[in-house]
Amino acid sequence: MTAVTYLEAIGQAIREEMRRDEAVFLLGEDVGTYGGAFKVSAGLMEEFGSERIIDTPMAEAAIIGSAVGAATMGMRPIAEMQFIDFITCGFDQIVNMASKFYWRSGIPAPMVIRGPSGGGVKGGPFHSASPEAWFFHVPGIKVVVPSTTYDAKGLLKAAIRDNNPVLYLEHKLLYRMPELREELPEEDYIVPLGKAITRRAGENMTILTYGAMVHQCLKAAQTLEQEDDLDVEVVDLRSLVPLDREAILESVKRTNKVLIVHEDTLTGGIGAELAAILAEDLFEYLDGPITRVAAPDAPFPYAPPLEDAYLPDAEKILAAARKLAAY
Amino acid sequence: MPTPVKMPRLGESVAEGTVGSWLKQEGDWIEKDESLAEIITDKINAELPSPVAGRLAKILVQPDQTVAVGVDIALIEENADAAASQSVEAAPGPDAAPVESPARANVAVMDKQSASDGNGSKAAVQPSRVGEEERQRISPLARRLAREHGIDLNDIAGTGTGGRVRKEDILAYIEQQQAAPAVPSYAAQAPATQPAYTPPAPAAPKAEPAPTVIGPDEELVTPSRMRLAIAEHMVRSKRTSPHATTVVEVDMTNIAKWLEKNKEDFKRREGYSISYVPFVMKAVCEGIRKVPTINSSWTEDNKIIIKKRINLGMAVATDAGLVVPTLYDADQYTIAGLAKQIAAIAQRARSNKLTVQDMQNSTFVVNNPGTFGTIISVPIINQPHAGILSMDAVVKRPVVIEDDAIAVRYMMYLSLSFDHRILDGAGAGGFLQAVRTKLQSYGREIDVY
Repeated sequence: MTAVTYLEAIGQAIREEMRRDEAVFLLGEDVGTYGGAFKVSAGLMEEFGSERIIDTPMAEAAIIGSAVGAATMGMRPIAEMQFIDFITCGFDQIVNMASKFYWRSGIPAPMVIRGPSGGGVKGGPFHSASPEAWFFHVPGIKVVVPSTTYDAKGLLKAAIRDNNPVLYLEHKLLYRMPELREELPEEDYIVPLGKAITRRAGENMTILTYGAMVHQCLKAAQTLEQEDDLDVEVVDLRSLVPLDREAILESVKRTNKVLIVHEDTLTGGIGAELAAILAEDLFEYLDGPITRVAAPDAPFPYAPPLEDAYLPDAEKILAAARKLAAY
Repeated sequence: MPTPVKMPRLGESVAEGTVGSWLKQEGDWIEKDESLAEIITDKINAELPSPVAGRLAKILVQPDQTVAVGVDIALIEENADAAASQSVEAAPGPDAAPVESPARANVAVMDKQSASDGNGSKAAVQPSRVGEEERQRISPLARRLAREHGIDLNDIAGTGTGGRVRKEDILAYIEQQQAAPAVPSYAAQAPATQPAYTPPAPAAPKAEPAPTVIGPDEELVTPSRMRLAIAEHMVRSKRTSPHATTVVEVDMTNIAKWLEKNKEDFKRREGYSISYVPFVMKAVCEGIRKVPTINSSWTEDNKIIIKKRINLGMAVATDAGLVVPTLYDADQYTIAGLAKQIAAIAQRARSNKLTVQDMQNSTFVVNNPGTFGTIISVPIINQPHAGILSMDAVVKRPVVIEDDAIAVRYMMYLSLSFDHRILDGAGAGGFLQAVRTKLQSYGREIDVY
């Protein structure tokens, strides 16, 4: 058994689900002959043919719209966005069609929309988006964000098998990160939607995070332990919708201080909703202000030094955590 | 008729409790399940939820007084409006004059409270403290903790930014307060304030024992309150139930191999661990279904109560000592579900967050000394149960299997101590056999969900 990358784990999940269930198929720009812009779907065309690995025109509304149609007719499409930034071209198909179809007609729309999100790779303003908050707001669509290779495969399999539309946000910075190489179980497994996981247990503070930021938070937590003697808990949400409220509340009730970290911009982000939940449910358990670390409210910059300044990282998390600990 | 609120039983072995503080004053309105008082026992500190909605008519036990479980500690008038005027009219003292309206009555009760409460108690301090708090920096958590423990925030110097009072400060203050008047004052106080009740004396005759004198090569240790409570319970249990113990050997090979293979994935997937314990608990539920008298109690008037709910006590060793919190309705969970409950309860126990509910109503105990590598244990029954099961270490042993072949198998001894008044060897043996059959029924692939 060899250790695979986060990217290979995604490819494995698609391959195994397509073998398991004939209703599963993949469509998107360059996913077939070219094997996908990042090579997620390399080799799938050879195995499954052009009827199940479909190269589409550059038209996201058509890709997602076709997926909605196929899903309501009993298929389980996986619609790939070449870069998740362009999901906005298919916004109407997601928020007006996919998310409401079952509600209106009683016919489920089991489909996955996935694509590379996030920054840190010098992609500039059109290839670095973290669009989770837009869809987090829309009832009727689930949103998951894997941070590890194991979860990348397990969450995608669970998303494909789910009877609702699921937005699966993979992080392009993690695609080939050597530290994330992992030996995966040979047998079939899933990571259930709606379950957070504690990546690091601690008693002094809870950090709520997801996606690539999990790794920055763990790095900061390690420094806090070594230099500040602080025992920080890091909870990886994994699913944003449905949200694992139980796990979040349990942790914060115990540690009494909470830091929320995400790569997306601050205002109206996931952190805002988490903060509202905590303030409503746990006000009298809070020993300090609910604190957020996120990107500033500005478009994603292209210049490399600006990108570094823009993205949250272990240093910024550390500074916020120290301030909160001293509160 | 006012409804009496009784001192709750916070754990099977606890016979008495101390009122730490009242969270409501006489005359206050209280909702059902709203916290009424803080109760301190040898095992845990917990908030006592009000059994009914109504007006707190009378406080019968003052803070720091210790009384026996079941003693009335307060009266709540459920009939709201009528109660307010009644309680005032009935109360003797300077304010016993008739009142015009319930609203007026309210005020009168409050006045009386602060007037009769001469020696600077919390009730008197509370109104004037509001102003102080505005100027002081306090976290929401610290404010709540201070209120619950009846702490005057003026006594505390905050160590947070800008002198803010935060969790650490309150907890340090409470610890410091508790460290000062511990065991001695408890012993001295109990007879004085509570003539109806004598604190439990471990087995010894009623006469005051002569003080222990030690030699030069000995050291005298005063046991903690928890140690004293355990000692009392163990002696009482042995005196109450004629214990008999019986042991079976269980082949755990398939479960052991499944755990070896799946334990880590399970932990990673679910976020909590799985061990032998949920498997044994599941099998115990099966055994209780076959032999329901295992899940029962012998009463003082010589009856047997058979418990329909299966609430398993699980022994957890904490820094403070041994506690046995309750896993309710264990038979309703899958093996994974039991594992989740076990993890959550153990976490609460270790972080000292067990609730009143956690410490009550267990019907049978599963104990796991096997984690310490023991291979046979003879447990003492947790009163008033009919039995207790000890699971010891799973170890590889050469075993004679089918066709007289010898194989290496993962074996475990299960020891059942049972109350011989309730059960005989046949019943106990039947139970153990059912438990063993269930544990040995698993194949290579186990569905824990």
